[in-house]
Amino acid sequence: MASFFRNTSLVYGAAIGLRVILLFHGAWQDAHSTVKYTDIDYMVFTDASRYVSRGDSPYARDTYRYTPLLAWMLLPTTWTIPGFFSFGKALFSLSDVIAGWLVAQSLVLTHKMSPERALKYASFWLLNPMVANISTRGSSEGLLGVLVIALLWAVLNRKVTLAGILLGLGVHFKIYPLIYGVSIIWWMDDTKTSTSSATREAKPKTKPTNPSTPVVSQILNFITPCRIRLTLVSLLTFAALNTAMYLRYGTPFLQHTYLHHLTRIDHRHNFSPYSTLLYLSAAADGAPASSSSRGGSGNFESLAFIPQMLLSIILLPVILGKKDLPGTMLAQTFAFVTFNKVCTSQYFLWYLIFLPFYLPTSSLLQKPRLGLLVALLWVIGQALWLQQGFYLEFLGASSFVPGLFLASLGFFAVNVWILGIIVSDIRGCSPV
Amino acid sequence: MRTRITYIQKPQAPFDPSQATLTPSALAIHNLDAAREERVTLGFDELPGELWQVLKQCHQIHVRWARREGYEAVSPFSSRVSPGLHVFFSPVAGVASGGATDGGAGGRVSSMESVCTLLKKVFDSRLGCENVEKSFITPPILSTRFASTAAYQFYELLPSLENLVTYLQQKHCERDNEECHRRAELILSADSIDINYDSVSHALTMSGYWSKSPTPEGWTETIQKYEGATGKVEVGLLGAEAANEPEEIKMGGLLADVGSDTELKPTLFSFPSRHHPLLDEAEYSVSFSPPTGLHPTMTISMAREALKEPPGGPEVACALHAYLTLPSSLFGDKYQLSTTDDLFLKSHNLVALRAVAGETDLEAPDWFVSRWGSSWLLELDTPLDSDQGSEDWNVTIPLHLRYLHPSASGYRSVSIPWPVVFWACTAEDGTKMGMNPFDRVNLGWEGLFGPRTMFYQLHPSPLNENNVLVEELKVPVLTVKENSGIFQSKVIELGTVAVIVLGFLWVLWKLALVVRSSGIRPQERQGTGKRDKAE
Repeated sequence: MASFFRNTSLVYGAAIGLRVILLFHGAWQDAHSTVKYTDIDYMVFTDASRYVSRGDSPYARDTYRYTPLLAWMLLPTTWTIPGFFSFGKALFSLSDVIAGWLVAQSLVLTHKMSPERALKYASFWLLNPMVANISTRGSSEGLLGVLVIALLWAVLNRKVTLAGILLGLGVHFKIYPLIYGVSIIWWMDDTKTSTSSATREAKPKTKPTNPSTPVVSQILNFITPCRIRLTLVSLLTFAALNTAMYLRYGTPFLQHTYLHHLTRIDHRHNFSPYSTLLYLSAAADGAPASSSSRGGSGNFESLAFIPQMLLSIILLPVILGKKDLPGTMLAQTFAFVTFNKVCTSQYFLWYLIFLPFYLPTSSLLQKPRLGLLVALLWVIGQALWLQQGFYLEFLGASSFVPGLFLASLGFFAVNVWILGIIVSDIRGCSPV
Repeated sequence: MRTRITYIQKPQAPFDPSQATLTPSALAIHNLDAAREERVTLGFDELPGELWQVLKQCHQIHVRWARREGYEAVSPFSSRVSPGLHVFFSPVAGVASGGATDGGAGGRVSSMESVCTLLKKVFDSRLGCENVEKSFITPPILSTRFASTAAYQFYELLPSLENLVTYLQQKHCERDNEECHRRAELILSADSIDINYDSVSHALTMSGYWSKSPTPEGWTETIQKYEGATGKVEVGLLGAEAANEPEEIKMGGLLADVGSDTELKPTLFSFPSRHHPLLDEAEYSVSFSPPTGLHPTMTISMAREALKEPPGGPEVACALHAYLTLPSSLFGDKYQLSTTDDLFLKSHNLVALRAVAGETDLEAPDWFVSRWGSSWLLELDTPLDSDQGSEDWNVTIPLHLRYLHPSASGYRSVSIPWPVVFWACTAEDGTKMGMNPFDRVNLGWEGLFGPRTMFYQLHPSPLNENNVLVEELKVPVLTVKENSGIFQSKVIELGTVAVIVLGFLWVLWKLALVVRSSGIRPQERQGTGKRDKAE
């Protein structure tokens, strides 16, 4: 097994081979079975590309809620060349593999690992059948994975401008990478440069902060050229992309890519602990005043962003950011997904990419029993929910309460417990 | 005011001349076993004020209603609509095409709202009709040149016309005119009702169709001539004859103009017809295979007899279709149904989605859908050889339910009318369907085809003991007990908030431990033993 990871081309070969096999299997299954391998989202993307190829707006396709960049990127899927319909899936799969490669590269930096050991942990992503499956089915999360991990890689290598561009692009793509901006800026002080063997900043200008420094100079010390550059470049990238897209596609772009997420009512059942409450309140809002099912009670759901944002934007990056950047990014993503008002299984991929950074020093591997228990509870939490979801969706049983309600709260509890473990683990180690 | 009453007898139904006796002032019908159509035409000046106030703003308005129960639709009245109330409406030109939704178009605003007000007054005060913009859907219009299709469409499953009867008795009948009251009340037993108004003829026609008499003995009534010279009462006692051309219908029997004719006049005439019947055995039935869950599949089962292509020359092309009228709680995924994937289509025995209109949002819950629902025209596949096999041919249509309001039981029931299923065939050039004295258009589905299309209607054959052409779906919803039980809305709210606050505090606690033991600065590298001590 150890020799396997020593052979780099073997690992990447296996990662690519796995995806190629799945791509062909998917094409075969789609052609021969009414149960399609291709994800429904992929049909949305490719439909949108078709609209774009005819000079129309991608938002002509209902439920297209992404940047036009995605539809443009998938334009080759509209070419009438056999096999090109799968272009997007191949692109997402390739992104996956590149993301895995960047994970391995970054692990060498952050954990001072040998390339062989780094590849072993990166394989958690590279050879993960779930990751390969999601990308080859045509879900765009792989693309986001590579963006986020490239952002981390650029930051670790002090490529500030590149990091800014990637951050702006990532936020333009899917908003949530915004949370990484905070931890990266917080982390980016001079002390990091001294441990980094990669390309340095031209001039080392900030000195290590002294705990007794007065507040004003602390703030002044905080404002470093690096931080300013990252902030400006990412803001510029984000603004430029959005302006360009707005000029091209107008309000529908703003509506579907961003505003939709503010106004959406996620009344449908999903993993989020809020889902039952949101169904209740959405139905009450839609009801005529007389038949309202909840008289005069508070709108708790409108406060849901408070714990989520406090944790993922302020507390986690500030408290943990300087100790372990990738670990903090994992904790942030985990908190963001766990406390989100809507949560589906593709969101789990958002934090999966960071696991190779966390696992080497995590108590989950050092105490295999704990690790096993965590994995087991996470799976059981989901399985219980999925069972209730099956009762509802396919058998027509009214399992909203207590079934789905308790299952989503239970799954939330498991996730929060795991988040606690991650936080405790990060405090002890400082690999970067 | 003109009245036309037509009795249609089947060939095997008995008829004796003594069953219809004409006097100078009336025609007496006695125990006649027949289907019956009555059509009343009213001029503009004969309408009550509140009616013409609304009608004068309409370019056209057509109402179609069919009862929930199955009934026989005999030729030439063989066309059908799904059970319920269908309204097709176009405002007068000038206010029709969009743009002026703001204050400028006062006339439009009033016409858009007054139509709903009137419909509620006439049919049911609880109709989900707020105004035309909010409640009506806009069906696709194939050709503006032959714009017989109305711009707006409304539907609701209205089980009874009691309100219409009361309205007619109060607004139209004079207090002591018992005959008028009786004729209005007869509407309660009608199988279908049509109301038409258009601004070209400025006339309102209302017709009812009865497949059989409400009493088992048959029709017994005395049809009086109108007092005064203005009205006209025509009565026909007819039966279908074998036609010479496939697009024609031939009727023979007796006609009388009550009040002017002295005797019943024999007649035999034929005309090209849009709608044709199929054999009695050409039946279909509709069901939802359990468990329906949140994604019910509608199954249309057709008898083998129904799958035989209607007769016609070699140039005539025919295709089998279903037209679905779905209330907003149930909808199709237009992307799923308009696929060109043969595997999917074959597995459902579908050919293609030909037209769709209305509420097709894939995510909205029912309470955010303001319009009544959606309509779908699907072309259905037929077996290569319809003679082979004896079992029914099943077409399946995958559909999806919207989230509905919570209820105390955890379930809500929605009623889905059966679709109409028919063959559509091209007719020879030059066929003029409008020559038909019994022509029927504005049914929703027929306007989706060219003007020279012939339709052969399959007969719905209810499976259930109630004989209804409506399927009930049990939809799971959130259980909310208003005053008792554990799962009141308060418990869901407080439970969620408590769990989230506890979870949040737990993470805060873990973070506080981190801050206490190591602050927020990076750790000095002190080997791996350090963390274990801190645990």
